[in-house]
Amino acid sequence: MDRRGLLARLRLLAAALLLTPLLSGCWDRLEIDERAVVLGVSIDEATEGDERESEISHVKGSLPPPKHGLVKVGVQIALPGRIPLGPGEGGGGTDPSQTLWVIHVVGHSIDDAFMNLQQQVSSKLFFGHLRIIAVSEAVARKGMENINDYFRRNSEVRRMAWLMVTKGKASSLMTAAPKLERIPTLFLMSTLDNSIRMGKFPKDFIGIYWSNSSKKGQEGFLPYVILKDEQNVEISGLAYFRSEKMVGSTKPMEVAGYLGLKGVNPAGYRAVVMLDEDDPDSAVMTNVTHRQSKIKLSLKDGMPHFHIQVELEANLEEKLSEHLAINDPSVIQQIERKQSETSVKFYQNIIKQTQAKGSDIFGFGEQIRSKKPAYWSREIGTKEKWQEMYKETTFDVEVVVKIRRIGMKAT
Amino acid sequence: MRKTNSPKKKTSVTVVHSLQEYEDRQISGSLEEVDAIIEEALGGTEDLSVRKFLIFGQHRAIMYGFSHMVNHVMINEAIMRPLMQPPYHLQGRSIPVEELADVLLQETLYHDDVSKENNVAALLRALLGGESVIVVEGLGEALLVGSRNIDKRGIEQPATEQVIRGPREGFIESLDTNLSLIRYRLQSAELRVEMRDIGRRTKSKVAVCYMEGITDPKLVEELDRRLDQIDIDGVLDSGYLEQFIEDHKWSPFPQVQYTERPDKIVANLLEGRLAIMVDGSPLALVVPTVFNQFYQTVEDYTERFLLMSAIRLARLVALVFSLVFPSLYVAIISFNPELIPTEFAVAVAGGRAGVPFPAVVEVLIMEVSMEVLREATIRLPQQVGGALSIVGVLVIGQAAVSAGFASPITVVIIALTTIGSFATPAYNAALALRLLRFPLIIMAGVFGLYGIMIGLIVIVNHLLSLKSFGVPYLSPFVPGDYNGLKDLLIRGPLGKMKRRPAFLNPQDTTKLAGTDDESGESEKGLPPLETTRPSPS
Amino acid sequence: MGNTNERPITMLQTATILVSTLIGVGVLPLPLFAVRAADSAAPFVTMLGIGFASISLLLLTWLGIRFPKETIFEYSNRIIGKWLGTVGTLLVILFFAILTSLAAREFGEVVVTSVLKSTPVEVTVIVMLVLAAISTRKPLTLFAYMHNFYFPWLLVPVVLISILSLNNAEIVNLQPIIWSHPQKVFIGTLTIAALFQGSFVITVIIPSMRKPQKAMRASIIGILIAGGLYLVIVSASVGVFGAEEIKKLLWPTLELAKATSLPANVLERLDAAFLAVWVTAVFTTLLSSYFLTLYALKQLFKMQDHRVFSFILLPFVFFMAMLPQNVTHLYGVIEDVGRIGLVITTAYPAVLALLAFVRKKRGESDG
Repeated sequence: MDRRGLLARLRLLAAALLLTPLLSGCWDRLEIDERAVVLGVSIDEATEGDERESEISHVKGSLPPPKHGLVKVGVQIALPGRIPLGPGEGGGGTDPSQTLWVIHVVGHSIDDAFMNLQQQVSSKLFFGHLRIIAVSEAVARKGMENINDYFRRNSEVRRMAWLMVTKGKASSLMTAAPKLERIPTLFLMSTLDNSIRMGKFPKDFIGIYWSNSSKKGQEGFLPYVILKDEQNVEISGLAYFRSEKMVGSTKPMEVAGYLGLKGVNPAGYRAVVMLDEDDPDSAVMTNVTHRQSKIKLSLKDGMPHFHIQVELEANLEEKLSEHLAINDPSVIQQIERKQSETSVKFYQNIIKQTQAKGSDIFGFGEQIRSKKPAYWSREIGTKEKWQEMYKETTFDVEVVVKIRRIGMKAT
Repeated sequence: MRKTNSPKKKTSVTVVHSLQEYEDRQISGSLEEVDAIIEEALGGTEDLSVRKFLIFGQHRAIMYGFSHMVNHVMINEAIMRPLMQPPYHLQGRSIPVEELADVLLQETLYHDDVSKENNVAALLRALLGGESVIVVEGLGEALLVGSRNIDKRGIEQPATEQVIRGPREGFIESLDTNLSLIRYRLQSAELRVEMRDIGRRTKSKVAVCYMEGITDPKLVEELDRRLDQIDIDGVLDSGYLEQFIEDHKWSPFPQVQYTERPDKIVANLLEGRLAIMVDGSPLALVVPTVFNQFYQTVEDYTERFLLMSAIRLARLVALVFSLVFPSLYVAIISFNPELIPTEFAVAVAGGRAGVPFPAVVEVLIMEVSMEVLREATIRLPQQVGGALSIVGVLVIGQAAVSAGFASPITVVIIALTTIGSFATPAYNAALALRLLRFPLIIMAGVFGLYGIMIGLIVIVNHLLSLKSFGVPYLSPFVPGDYNGLKDLLIRGPLGKMKRRPAFLNPQDTTKLAGTDDESGESEKGLPPLETTRPSPS
Repeated sequence: MGNTNERPITMLQTATILVSTLIGVGVLPLPLFAVRAADSAAPFVTMLGIGFASISLLLLTWLGIRFPKETIFEYSNRIIGKWLGTVGTLLVILFFAILTSLAAREFGEVVVTSVLKSTPVEVTVIVMLVLAAISTRKPLTLFAYMHNFYFPWLLVPVVLISILSLNNAEIVNLQPIIWSHPQKVFIGTLTIAALFQGSFVITVIIPSMRKPQKAMRASIIGILIAGGLYLVIVSASVGVFGAEEIKKLLWPTLELAKATSLPANVLERLDAAFLAVWVTAVFTTLLSSYFLTLYALKQLFKMQDHRVFSFILLPFVFFMAMLPQNVTHLYGVIEDVGRIGLVITTAYPAVLALLAFVRKKRGESDG
């Protein structure tokens, strides 16, 4: 009895001793208010005036910097305490300079730039809430390897963040001050998220971009945005890539082409249909509500050939003159026929445009890889080969438009 | 203690030392001798009334009784009067001493509870229990008169286990009343009550109830064994017994359930459990106990099943909340703020901006002050208590926030946790979870979510290793029992719960007629129940 | 009381023990292993791996049913003689000690890389090991209870993440479903089959089962559920990311959790939460392999109680866990050890089964 009691007490003591090292622990505890919550990052090329960089992760001579050229990184950090808790209170969110802190630094690589930044900011940079990474077109055209690698390696960065290419300077996006949200980055983010919901933009989070650009038979693309005068941001097309380099951008309307060819739902683009090319009064506007596409792959003379069948359902939204009678089914048929014809041309143009740059953002190559694996491994096999072959691949597009509803007006 | 394996008798096995020496003594018939013995044993305590008188005017007699425990009216009317003034039919008869005992018992005393006893120890014990002892010169036996009369409060609503729908009666301190409350609900020939005295000095009466033919006899044996081993000088409440019969003394989790509701006891008896009651305690114990009993209430069964299943789930959520909520908060704020939505995270950072402590310390401080407040509210007189709790919660919370002592969200979390712990019906289980919250908060402060999981695994492993009277604590979830699952997280329709819990190993497994069960036949021919009402004592 | 007899473990409990043993830290890099072997045919390779693993499990179960009162450490002595049997037992002990340490280290690395970045890896490893060591000090019944309890918590995260990620999955990523590169596929099959070696624990369970004849059913249920979960995870991650992207990810399953958010943004990313829940999965796996090691040691030294070793073994296991230099080295070791282990967990029982069959040895049937 006594021996057992002693043993039990000894065991308790041993357990307590084992636990003591824990008390010296808390290695990772870092309060939320001690973190510098980075909401947005912009990446630009450094210009002449920016090169006053201190040597923080390298020393000239002993630890030479990489010879890649400098990048200028801007970050948007939320200022704790400035953004009120709960809805409504204060209402002082209109001026982002009070809620956010935007800092620009220069570095030889992304990590180097962040190190330089950390040197200047007391709290630890925290990327767990990084929602927007804006890259200037110039940097994107030079290549995204470094950017992709850094953010993929960092475990804090979420795969649902948005990576985007800006026309002009990316840093201007960080200082933009839209009126709708307290935090500009969140406004930008919700702009993009909502455009997915309204069928205006494909799902293209950073994770999806990474997956797409990793694939052998597909290229990545990113939203291409422009900062307007009113401090608002316009999504003005897709920036498409070839491997890691941006090679071109589309017009805003052409995003609809991408969505149509991929059959992404919900649909949400409007189109003008001219029943008679010469008669300006014959124009009507339709709103596409549902898209469906079938891609058929065949081999013609040893070359892949795609037959794409797109089915669009649309509603009539508006007509420009009264003399067009919508209550006549034949007119509606005419509109359908007309829109089909123009759409075919429209789609073919987009494909041609990307073919010219060898950037298969639609993933046609993936279709070959998955449906004709033998052909793929024999003839193509690598990403580079497919980029070349894509240019010579032939397509024919067939569009069927169906107008379902015409609104509350009878004619 | 030493003679634990001796065959059991209904009388107590443990003996008060001062009475032990009288164990083998008989009274001889000499009044002086008895007087001397009582003087020696009780040391002339002054609340002992010693009444000397003559029976029928011829036989010298003394009546002993503790004057504050005795029903004087009854003694006067039913005992003293016939003894001093012989009843009509005895008048003029001279009764020799040899016949006196029978004449007194059979023809004289107007009282139902009178017996003969010649053992001195037994006499003393009865005297201490509130009975009156009449010793007659020349008679080798004394008369014991059940004259006990102790003030007790009336039957009231159970204070800690109130229900909206269900009986309103609660146990009181008196064991006799409590037993009557049980038998009144369970008028069954199979209800067995075993009495014993525990407590070397207090000699508290302890009743063990079970259903013959339902309860596993091994359980009854095991409980008897454990009760036999108790050798303490005083049992003041059933809580004393609980601590002697539970399996794991070092566990924070209660392994014995207590209740003040007779209907709950009856329900448990019918499931095959045992109930233990102590004279002087309004709380009955139920064994074996499994964890799910702590978040179930009587009301679960009196109201319709769909609604009560939902409420039981809510209670379960509250239970889990009260355990992990503060630690989750600490882990998310200090380790993984990326989990919460961005807008919220930024705002939380703002709320915390002025607070000088890390979240762990902040939460710990708030938790401790909450415990202090709660304890204070219980101790305060009722008239003040209500005022204080409002002052405490509103003013202190608000002041702590504006003083930059805590962030508003911490106050919300602590408030939710505290309220959550009140939703657990069993106070002792809620207490255990309240206690375990603190190590979890510390683990969260050291390792974040990882630490919480480690802590929870330790707790769960402990729960799994617990047993109450051989029944695994987490039954019927682990080990799995399909029929038991109907009454675990939800409460199945009464019509579907046809069996008693299998983990209690009941003799008779079915509780619902018409069950196609192989062992269900025996129950069909159940004898009609006796309907005699127990006499109120 | 009534139900804690000599052989308390039921068929379903055995199945849950198998499942929660098999689902563990190996699931995190699983899609990477599968994709490296066969690109988009990863689910196919996974199935091959499951098939291979079930052969070993079924062999062990068959042997167990043939000797319903003995563990492999006892009947191996009777089949191939005392000396060879002891050598076999020693090998099993060594292998499962290594397996325990590798699993602890692997999970330690995951935690340190993704959540607790400044915590020393030694701390996370020792915490898991101590937890397992303490828990192995309980009797076999409790071992079964623990697995039984944690089993549902394994299903929830896997199923939840798979369902939520269906939204982003593309069929194209999973095609072609069969890939012909036999050598790579073969190696991949072995690598995946090696993740199933915890199923060896069945040999300790069978002697304590209420009805050992039902062990075969338990094994089949166990491997079907565990294999099913493996398959679901591989398919979901390949479907969402595509084969090429997975090749760039160290722990694709974790990345899958990161890419998933609960509806209505309750939790915006699930990686930390997933990892937290996964602690239980890793715990059960460690528990099994540690328990197996202890049990084998107990039978080797013919002791009554396996508890003696639980803390004696701890320093050795911890030391072995600390040997690999870095993550890439660790995975090299894991793959090598896993494939070597197949000799012990598959070839060894196969030899035993063959000899038992040829020499017509069998244990006393259940009385």
